[in-house]
Amino acid sequence: MKTFLILLLLVPSIIAQEFKAVNVKGSVQYRSGTSEVWAEVKEGAALRSDDFVTTGAKSSVQIKNSNNIINLEEFTAVSISSIKTMSTDDLLLALAMEDMINAPKPNGKNNSSSTAVYGNKEGQGKNPDLKADDFGIKRLNGAIQLAENGFKESAVVFAKETYRKYPDLKQIPSYRIFFADILYEKGLYEESLGEYMYIAKLDLSKEEKSKVESQIQSINKILLNN
Amino acid sequence: MALNLKILPQSSFGLAGYWGLQESVTIPFYNYESNASNYFDIKDWGVSLQYGAEFSGSVNSSLYLLAMAKKLGNHSLSARFTPGYQKEFLFATGESIIINDTTTQSLEANYNYRELFGLGYSYKFDEQFSAGLAVRFYSQDFNREIVKPIYGDTLYLVRESINEKVNLLNADVGINYIVNKNFQLRAASINLFNIEDEITNEEFLGFEMDQKRGALLTASYMPADFFNFHILYETSNSFQLSATGYAEGITYGLTAFHDYYQEPYIAGVVPAVGYRTDLFEVLLSGVKYFSERSTDASFSKFYEEGINNIINNRYSFDKIVLSMALNISSAPEKQVELIDVEIVRDIYPTFYDKYVEQPFAYGRVVNISNKPVSVIPSVKIEGITDDQIQSPPLNLAPGDTAKVPFYLIIPDNYVIDKAVLSYADFYVTASSNEPDAQLQKAALINSINSWDGNVANLRYFIKRDIDFSMNYAKNVLGNNKAVLDTLPSVISIFYKSEILFNDFVKKLVYTSDPRATAEYVQFPKQTNELKGGDCDDLSVAYSSLLESVGIQTALVDYKGDGDIRHVNVLVNTKLSPSQAKFITNNDSKYFIRKNEQGKDEIWIPIETTSLTNFDEAWNIGVEKFNREALIEMGLATGKVEIIDVY
Repeated sequence: MKTFLILLLLVPSIIAQEFKAVNVKGSVQYRSGTSEVWAEVKEGAALRSDDFVTTGAKSSVQIKNSNNIINLEEFTAVSISSIKTMSTDDLLLALAMEDMINAPKPNGKNNSSSTAVYGNKEGQGKNPDLKADDFGIKRLNGAIQLAENGFKESAVVFAKETYRKYPDLKQIPSYRIFFADILYEKGLYEESLGEYMYIAKLDLSKEEKSKVESQIQSINKILLNN
Repeated sequence: MALNLKILPQSSFGLAGYWGLQESVTIPFYNYESNASNYFDIKDWGVSLQYGAEFSGSVNSSLYLLAMAKKLGNHSLSARFTPGYQKEFLFATGESIIINDTTTQSLEANYNYRELFGLGYSYKFDEQFSAGLAVRFYSQDFNREIVKPIYGDTLYLVRESINEKVNLLNADVGINYIVNKNFQLRAASINLFNIEDEITNEEFLGFEMDQKRGALLTASYMPADFFNFHILYETSNSFQLSATGYAEGITYGLTAFHDYYQEPYIAGVVPAVGYRTDLFEVLLSGVKYFSERSTDASFSKFYEEGINNIINNRYSFDKIVLSMALNISSAPEKQVELIDVEIVRDIYPTFYDKYVEQPFAYGRVVNISNKPVSVIPSVKIEGITDDQIQSPPLNLAPGDTAKVPFYLIIPDNYVIDKAVLSYADFYVTASSNEPDAQLQKAALINSINSWDGNVANLRYFIKRDIDFSMNYAKNVLGNNKAVLDTLPSVISIFYKSEILFNDFVKKLVYTSDPRATAEYVQFPKQTNELKGGDCDDLSVAYSSLLESVGIQTALVDYKGDGDIRHVNVLVNTKLSPSQAKFITNNDSKYFIRKNEQGKDEIWIPIETTSLTNFDEAWNIGVEKFNREALIEMGLATGKVEIIDVY
């Protein structure tokens, strides 16, 4: 990627975030760091950056600090550290990190996996084995919540990590289209094209197929004109 | 009778007339007279001869010289046989004898001065300086007829010969210094050492060759690549001026000489023309004197002045000489030159195969031939390799200069406890077995525990002590066989990692580097014996234990800021993402890497300096990895690097 070296200079400033949980409704839990145990989130509870928050059915919570605020609806899970504003350059850096994590290929080239995801709230889509309270689905829903609360770049990174840990979720087109659209919207055409090409091979509904093909054509035109 | 005769052994006069060019200063006819340093430029063997004729009324032809030379590295040896280097004098003694009362016969004397053979040796110290010596053997045969009375009943007078052979050994030294491409100096002694038989017959006293000491100095100046001037001065106040040229194989030269003992001021000239190739040389030269020459001379003049040179004196005649030289070199012509070598990496013996992939030195090589050559660089390091280690060949066009890499193989059993300063001999070879050129450089060889600070190179410490690690790990796992046998095979790697950590690492203590530097790393066996180490040592030891039983590991290099760095270990559990639940319910405690086949596998970070237990080490490792590698995107910014051990 041509811009990678330049972007290395644009390291994001990560600022410690002190968050608080408010408007807690229903079952809202958190897990700290490496703990194996979930605990109930109480109204006004302070949350640390290495905490994870998840909501159950018909539950919601608002997480905020002095700069950011996010509303989590039911069946969502997010890490507190992902509630942050990232630039497009930061997003590109995060996408580049994909190659560096993988074991080296014998020919020295790493295989960069897809990065963007999308989903609807139900998440079952075309995959009957997945349920709304699967933790992976909750994470994708959390990623969507991040995007809808203005943390679009962060949402893509969080979704990408989720796909790595729950690769079966890659088969759900709706989530993937959602996150591919973010890449497109941010002008990351090559990255979004890769996503759409991958999505096009999935079992798509008529509408999804039409949308993906339209996006591919649109990106190809843009890339040709550049 | 004590005569003041000056019959000196050879000084600087030669018969070839061609002195060579600066760049090939060889005088291929082994002319010790003007080249006591013996510097010559043959490749291997050289043979030469000089055959000529002297026009002394009649034409007297003879073999002047037959010579042979051999080069052995920087040593040069030569020997010459000089049957034509002689001068014979016949005298009437002034006495006569009447035979049978009727016939009167004059008595004669015959003095013959000969140079028999010579030996030479020289040593080339460097491309500019060489020095050597020449030893020559002379024979002086004195014969004189005398009248001897025989006393009896009657007094008889009979003619009888007395003779004596007097040998002389003469040795001189010389130096040869090439100042630059255009200027060269040569200096030599004349009659520095002389050993002579003592004359027993007083009749011959004073007729032996004189051994007056002196010196000669030659300066050569080459204003153009094809032309050379020489001036040679002797302390006897004789000198020679010479101009020498070479073009398209044709050699030519003209020498004019002033001999202090001869008239006129320029006593004569030695013109020469020839043809030479790399293999042979033919030269036709002559000596032309500018003064009248006669076969008869006054004994009184000989008595008073003597002669000063066997082949060049007032009794010498014009000569023509054919010289031939053959270069019988079995060594091929030098085709490449090694200009310089730069060692770009220090040598760490533990990185035994690193220098197979990355050159430790680069040399600059120039093709000095007129055809493309294939150059093979090779290196030999005293103390490490007995043989030359060859690097891949490189093709070089005529006249081109190229940068050539030198690779190195260090035996994997090589052990060195302390760093030593050794020498690396670099060679470049083109189309033959013998190197065309070589250079020597000092090279630092570090101890086997030395490390260059590059975490990627810690894997060499992990691999080197693998036998110890394997025995240790198998023993520990064998002791836990009962537990391991009850576990599903899918999680056996995870539990083996835990068992090995708890057994080995847990009982150690963290100690900073014993030498207070970051460049010392212990092998696993040493860490076990010392019962401690720093993060490098502990990570190496744990990774080595796991790798020895087939568990894949990687090192994580936390580069931090400045000199503060940290290393810990990643373990591949071989679990798929869907199997994560077998080891944890927290998906933050692992991360996914695709393997070489593109399959997702669960890896867990282990902080080896956390010497409490495996779970604690895992948790600390996860927190650090998640924070610095993932959240702060250290992997993308280069502050964190994952280095696979294999």
